Amino acid sequence: MNLEDYRTVFASVSLVLILVAAFPGLNVAISFPRSVERFSELWILGPERMAEGYPFNVTAGEGQGPVHIGVRNHMGASQYYLVYAKFRNQTQPLPNVLTSEPSPLSPLYEFRFFLADGETWETPMSFVVNDVVFKGNISFVGLISINDHVFPTNLSSDWNSEQDGFYYQLFFELWLYGENLQGFRFHNRFVGIWLNVTA
Amino acid sequence: MPCLRIIPVLFVLFVLLSSAVVGRVDAPDVENIAVSAVEGAEQAAASAYLAVLEAENVGADVSELLRRLDSATLYLASARMSLRIGDFDGAIGNASFCVEALDAILSEVEVLKDEATKDLSEASLMAISGSIVGVVLVVCISFFGWRFFKVRYYERVLKMKPEVVKGES
Repeated sequence: MNLEDYRTVFASVSLVLILVAAFPGLNVAISFPRSVERFSELWILGPERMAEGYPFNVTAGEGQGPVHIGVRNHMGASQYYLVYAKFRNQTQPLPNVLTSEPSPLSPLYEFRFFLADGETWETPMSFVVNDVVFKGNISFVGLISINDHVFPTNLSSDWNSEQDGFYYQLFFELWLYGENLQGFRFHNRFVGIWLNVTA
Repeated sequence: MPCLRIIPVLFVLFVLLSSAVVGRVDAPDVENIAVSAVEGAEQAAASAYLAVLEAENVGADVSELLRRLDSATLYLASARMSLRIGDFDGAIGNASFCVEALDAILSEVEVLKDEATKDLSEASLMAISGSIVGVVLVVCISFFGWRFFKVRYYERVLKMKPEVVKGES
C-alpha cells in the first residue's frame, strides 16, 4: 500500500467515526419519519374468549353471553377510543367501510377508554332482549339490556324465510378521537353478531 | 252567586294548569342542564387526553394517567347512556363525577409534562453537545493521527535500503 491508499483508508474511517459521533445530535435535531402502518384492531369473541360459541338463538328474558369486545392500538401513540353498541334489524343500514360512514342508527351502550400504543383493551358484555312480541310474520323487540343498562329499541323484524328466523344484529362500531377534528370520528371498523329471536 | 261558585273551580283549574306548565318548563330545564353537564364532561375528557398526549410526546410515562383517565371516562359513558334513556339526574351526577376525577388528573398531567419537558431538554442538550464534542475529537484525532502516521511512513521509507534483485538490470 502506498501513501495515497493509506490516506483513503484514514479518510473513510474518520468519516464513519464522525457520522457515529454525530448520530445522537442529529437524532434530536431531525425527526426521522417512521414508515409504520397505523391501524387499530377490533374484535368480538364468544363466552370462552374464542371465535366460536357466539349467542345466536335468543329468547326473551334469557341472559346471553358474555361476549368479549377487544381493541388493540397500533396507531403509534396513545389513543382515546369509543365503541358504540347498536342494534338493528335485517333492513337497517350497517356502517359503510367504503365511504367510512358509520351506521346512522342511534347508539345504545358505549365504552370509552384510552390505550397506549401496542396495548390491548378487552371487556365482557352480556345482554338480554325483552318485551318480545310475535305477530304472524313479524317479531318485535321492545327492550334490550346491555350490561344491566336497559335501552328501548322498539324494533321489528320480518320473518326470514330463507334463513328461517327473525333476525336482528347487535354490532359494535369503533370510533377514535381526532385531535384536529376536536371530536370522535368513525374509525372504519365494526363487528357484530346475528341473533335469531325465538319464542 | 253562581259566579262565586265558579271561583273554587277556576282556582283548581288554575293550579292544575300552572303545575302542568311548570312541569313542562322544568323537564326541558333538567334536560338542558344534563346535556350541558355531559358536554362539559366530554370537553374535560378531551382536554385531559390532549394534555396527556402532549406529556407523552415529550417522553413522559403516561401509563398510570391513562388508567386513571379510563376510570374517569367510565362515568362519562354512564352519563351519556343515562342521557340517552332520559335519566337526566343520573346523567348530571355521572358527568360531575367525571369532571371531578378529570380535574385531579389535569393538575398531575401538568406537573408530569413539566418534568418530562425538563428531562427532554437536558437529554437533548447532552446529546447535541456530546455529538459536537465527539465530532471535534474525531476530527482532531484524525488530523493529528494522519500527520503522525505520515511522518512515520516517510521515516520508514527513508530507512529502507535498496535491494538488488537478480535478473534486473
